[in-house]
Amino acid sequence: MLQISPVEIKKQRKFVVIWSITFLIVFPLLILLGLLMRMNQGEMIKIGMDKFYMMMTLHGLGMSGLLFSMAFAALWYLISTRYAKLNIGLGYFVYVLILLGVVGLAIAGLMGKFAAGWYLLYPLPFKGATWAAWSTGLSIISLIVLGVAWLAGMLHVIYALAKEYGGFTNLLGWQYLGRKEVKRELPPIVMIATISLIPGVIAFLAGAVFLVMNLLQYFEPTLTFDPLLLKNLVFFFGHTLVNITLYCCLGWVYALLPEYTGREWKVNKVLVYSWNATLFFIMFAYFHHLYMDFVQPLPFQVAGQLASYFSAIPATVVTMFGVIAQLYHSKVKWGIVPVSFLIGVAGWAIGGFAAVVDSTIAVNKILHNTLWVPAHFHTYMLTGVVLFIFGFLFYLSHTKEEQYKDKFAKFGFWLFVVAGHGFIATFYSGGLNSIPRRFADYKGIPISSTHYTGALLAQIAVYCIIALFIGLFIMYISILLKLGKRRQIPLSQLADG
Amino acid sequence: MVTINLFMTIQMAAAIISFLAAILVVSVVVFLMTTSGREEDKTSVKHKVYKMRGRYFLILGSCIIVLLFISLRLLPYKSFQGKADEVVTVVATQWAWKMESGISDKNPSQFIGSNEITLPPQKLIKFLVTSADVNHNFAIYNSKGEIVGQTQAMPQYTNELQHVFQDKGDYRILCLEYCGIPHAYMFATIHIK
Repeated sequence: MLQISPVEIKKQRKFVVIWSITFLIVFPLLILLGLLMRMNQGEMIKIGMDKFYMMMTLHGLGMSGLLFSMAFAALWYLISTRYAKLNIGLGYFVYVLILLGVVGLAIAGLMGKFAAGWYLLYPLPFKGATWAAWSTGLSIISLIVLGVAWLAGMLHVIYALAKEYGGFTNLLGWQYLGRKEVKRELPPIVMIATISLIPGVIAFLAGAVFLVMNLLQYFEPTLTFDPLLLKNLVFFFGHTLVNITLYCCLGWVYALLPEYTGREWKVNKVLVYSWNATLFFIMFAYFHHLYMDFVQPLPFQVAGQLASYFSAIPATVVTMFGVIAQLYHSKVKWGIVPVSFLIGVAGWAIGGFAAVVDSTIAVNKILHNTLWVPAHFHTYMLTGVVLFIFGFLFYLSHTKEEQYKDKFAKFGFWLFVVAGHGFIATFYSGGLNSIPRRFADYKGIPISSTHYTGALLAQIAVYCIIALFIGLFIMYISILLKLGKRRQIPLSQLADG
Repeated sequence: MVTINLFMTIQMAAAIISFLAAILVVSVVVFLMTTSGREEDKTSVKHKVYKMRGRYFLILGSCIIVLLFISLRLLPYKSFQGKADEVVTVVATQWAWKMESGISDKNPSQFIGSNEITLPPQKLIKFLVTSADVNHNFAIYNSKGEIVGQTQAMPQYTNELQHVFQDKGDYRILCLEYCGIPHAYMFATIHIK
């Protein structure tokens, strides 16, 4: 059986604390960019279109990268302290590479005004660019550095788990499908981590191909590539990254929620079928980003809708009902951790429904690239992933008793949740009113109702973001006061194999 | 061409479905939080939840099949479209729209069209949409500010969008794909007379 020493756990805890502090520093800065963008759209300030799109690029790249990194760091921590030995040296190497990548992107944005959007939709980085040419090259190289870092981290985790649990197929839970008795129980977090990271590795390889093609064109401008192929590659990469961020978080919900409810959450056949189906659906759902590219082969378009629809089955039938089974009549004490997880799952469900609605081709032809799109992904990122992360941060920084007593933090949490949903509601309303996304402002739109509705909703969003910031600040005080303190390692964190 | 009258706009249908789903989720959360004070044996809870899960699975599965059956008949793609009464070539450039009646054989970079065009109502119009430079998105807005149809404008490819303009009046074209700094200022007009 696996034995992880208290010294190792201490080292891994220090590592995740460093990650957490990095997250806590960068996260509000990226929200600030969002605030400035909504203020500009609401005509409350004037920041200039070049700065707006530079901020939009940094906000998109930064948030998706930061949330994935923190989700992965927390997963790393829980795995390394309970289920498998992970090389902390490699962990720090990944961390430093990520910092380098982030610094590169920040320089490209803030100094070079790079503004091609998170998705660098080919051939935009090379045509009609108003930003410095070097910033395009620096951004591509920085993204490659980030990709290498994440890829190294993900491959290491998969390798370490496979080594510990006797092979790759065991990580997928296939041993539960046979008639033989399972010799060693598979913790759900291990299976979910694997199922999140496999598509992650494939998507990052697709992303690498995309970036290398861009880099080739950067150095040799006479080259041209197929824009439809590159769009497929970048959306496969981007969609999967966001998707697995959420699944990494669910991994620790499966691991930590039972500590509060006292009810075990074990792998069984249904869970294996469900999560293996999820692995399949993750790979094909991205096609829904290309519905409005009518030249995309029809089977891909239909596959996008089928995968998006059917992905709702394992998500809701197994995970959400699993959460219900954990909490129903459980006498759980509603400390901030289980509350964060429950409200996070609710955010995931609400955003998921809105995503399924938009993944209907017949609906997407009206909602595509309106504010409905940021509405649904902000729902499951801001009021899903972010709440899971804060749940984890409170788990890390507070003892259970402290979690129950900390009413101040709970107030901050609820303020954040309510303001977050208010903020998102302005996006949904915008989508329903056909307000376009990625518009620096709505002043030029020759339809007055679209202009005024867009600006008004942006103004309301600004007040919601300010309230959200206050909630965030309150939670920060509570977390930072305790995060650095030395904690005794609870027994539950010692290896249980 | 298949048409199904939903008696409401797509926006309204999306709003109602999403709102009801959100209400359902919030209700479950409130129910769980307010009833968690009672303690029940986990085996009995498991039995109850699994029973409910089975029913939910059947309902969800049936809904998905029905919705797929309906929605996959409403695809905007070429093979689902009828014979057009009129064809319009549309070329997007940074940062303007160029439109002209008929099929153009010119290279998109040499295409000369106008950002205004006049078309008849109640006719099936086919737009052949491409781009001379980067990706754009050809979105048609009615005078109430509602999107009534859209397609991407991608270099090297031509997307065929068909639309029937029901009402007379001015329809505006906005670009819905980020295409560079002046992206939010790229407009055209279709007069329906």
